[in-house]
Amino acid sequence: MSQLDILLLILRVAFGAFVPLCFIAVLVWMERRGAGFIQDRSGPNRANIFGFRAGGLVQNLADAVKLITKEDIIPDHVKHKFYFVLAPVIVFCIALISFAAVPFADVLVINGKEYIMQAIPTDLGILWFLALAGFGVYGIILAGWSSHNKYGVLGGLRAAAQVISYEIPMGLAIISMLVVYGTVNLTEMAQFQGQLLFGFIPMWGVVLQPLGAIIFIVAAFAETNRTPFDLAEGESELVAGFHVEYSSMKFGMFFMGEYVAMFTSSALIVTLYFGGFQIPWLATETLVNYARLITVLLMLLLPVFGLFFARWIAKNNKSHYDRPDDPRVREAQVYIKGLWAIVAALEIVLFIYLITVSGGVADRILVVFLQIITFLVKTTLMCFVYVWVRWTLPRFRYDQLQKLGWQTLLPLSLLNIFVTSAIVVALS
Amino acid sequence: MSGKVKIMERKGKDLYERLFLIEVFKGMAVTFGHFLSNLLDNSKLLVRHYPEQKPEITARWRGRHRLTTHEDGTMKCVACFMCQTNCPAKCIIIEAGERIDGKTEKMPVRFDIDLLECIYCGYCVEACPMDAIRMDTGIFSVTGSERPSFVMGLDALLATPGAFTEEEYKKGGA
Repeated sequence: MSQLDILLLILRVAFGAFVPLCFIAVLVWMERRGAGFIQDRSGPNRANIFGFRAGGLVQNLADAVKLITKEDIIPDHVKHKFYFVLAPVIVFCIALISFAAVPFADVLVINGKEYIMQAIPTDLGILWFLALAGFGVYGIILAGWSSHNKYGVLGGLRAAAQVISYEIPMGLAIISMLVVYGTVNLTEMAQFQGQLLFGFIPMWGVVLQPLGAIIFIVAAFAETNRTPFDLAEGESELVAGFHVEYSSMKFGMFFMGEYVAMFTSSALIVTLYFGGFQIPWLATETLVNYARLITVLLMLLLPVFGLFFARWIAKNNKSHYDRPDDPRVREAQVYIKGLWAIVAALEIVLFIYLITVSGGVADRILVVFLQIITFLVKTTLMCFVYVWVRWTLPRFRYDQLQKLGWQTLLPLSLLNIFVTSAIVVALS
Repeated sequence: MSGKVKIMERKGKDLYERLFLIEVFKGMAVTFGHFLSNLLDNSKLLVRHYPEQKPEITARWRGRHRLTTHEDGTMKCVACFMCQTNCPAKCIIIEAGERIDGKTEKMPVRFDIDLLECIYCGYCVEACPMDAIRMDTGIFSVTGSERPSFVMGLDALLATPGAFTEEEYKKGGA
C-alpha cells in the first residue's frame, strides 16, 4: 500500500462517516424550517450566537446541548437494561453503516490504479443495503419490547409488520432494477445511468423503470418510518410508540438515526433511480475530456449564483418590524461578505488549477469533486422530498398500510418484473 | 324524530382517488407553492414576531385583574365578598375592615388574588355590584420566578391602571 492508497482510504471512510452526520444538522434544520414555510409560519429562527442566527441552523446546537444535558433515565421497570441501551445504538449505527456501500463519485483513476469511491470499496452494493435495512428495524423492535410498555410494544409490533410488508415490494422493485442494469454493484449501476437514451434523454433509472421507482420510493418511505408510514411512532395513538420510555441522548440517538436513515435511503434512491453522481448529459469521460471548458463555465457561473444568493439573503434576512439600526441587516451584510469571500476563493482555486495543473490527474480529481457535489445536491433534494411529503400527507391507518403493501405494491412490483424481463429479453 | 336526512356522498372509492398518486401530487403542489413563496420572500409568513410585536388586545379580553377607584382616588370595593364567594377557583382572599375614608362602612384591609389559582373566568367581575374589580388591564402574560410573586395584593391591584377608556370598556359589553 502506497501513501496515496492510505490517504484515499482515510478520505473515503471519513466521507462515508462524517457526511451523514453533518447531514443530520442540515436535515433537522430543513425539516423544521421547511415545515414552517409549508404551513406559512417561520420555524425556529431565534437561537443565535452573538446575533448570528445562520437562518436557524444555530437552533440545532441548542437542541443538541439540551438533549445531552438532560437527565438520562432508565426506568426501574425495565428488566433488560442491556437491550434497552442497545436498541438506539443499533438504529443509529445500522443507518450510518448502510451508507458505506453507496458510491459518491465515479471510479477515480490515478496512475492507472482504480479507486472505487465508496466508504467501503465492496462489490456487494445493493445487497449490503438490503441486508442492513432489514436489520435496522431490529433496533426499533428491541426498543419497543425492552421498554416493557404497552405503547412501546405496540409501536415495535407495528414496525415489524410494516417492514415485512414493505421489504418485499422493495426487494422486487430492486430485482427488476437488477434485470435492467445486470449488476448488483452500485458504482456500475451509476455508470450505466451516464448513458443516453435515444441520444438525448439521460438513461436514469426513473426513465427506464418509472413504476419500479414509485414502488421503491414508497417502500423506502415505509422502511425509514417516515410519514405517511410512521405508524411505529403514531403520536395520536401510541404517545410516542417505540421510544416512549427513552429520554436524553438515548432518544437523541433514535432521532439522529431517523435522519441518517433518511439520508441513506435518499442517497440510495438517487443512486438507483436518479443517476447517482452523474451530471445529466455529462458522463465521466466527457467531463474529463472537456475539464478546461467546464472549469471556465464554472468560473463564469459562480459569480452569477453568488449574486442571486446574496440578493436573496439581503431580501430575507431582515426584521419584519420597525427596529432602529436593524441588527439583522448588519448580520446579512456579514453573510454576504462571507459568501463573496467563498466565491472569490473558489475562483482563485479554479484559476490556479486552470493555469498550472490542468490536464492529467488533476482533471480527474476535479471531476470527482464535481460529482460529489452533484451527488450531495441530488440527495439533498431527495431528502427535501421526504420533508415535503411528511408535511403534506396524513398518516395511513394501519389496515390501509397493510392493504397498500400487500394488495397494491406487491402485485404491481411482480407485474413490473414480468414486463421488464419481457422487454429486456425482447431487446437482447 | 323525523328530521331531514342527508346522505353524504362517500369519497375515495373510485379508481382516480384509489390511485392515490394523482391526489398526492396535487396536495404536494399546494404545499410546495406555499414553501416556495415563503422561501423567496419571508415577509409573507403569517406570523407575529411576538416579544417585539404585541398582539392587539380587545376591551373584552380578560387580562390580569385590577381594583378600580372613585374619581377622588378612594377604592370602590366595599368588601362584600361577592367575588370571593363566586370564585370557582377560590383564588380571592378578602379580609374586611372598617372604612376610614368615609364613603361607606366597609373596605378590604387585605385583598389577595393568587394568579396561579385563577382561571381567568371573569365571574368576579360579573359578580361585583360596585364595578370595583375589572380584568381590563390588557396584561396577558404574567411571569415570575417564585410562587409568592404571583399573589397580587391590595396595593398592586389598585396601582394597575386600565388599558382602555371607559367608553371602550362599556362597548365591550360590561
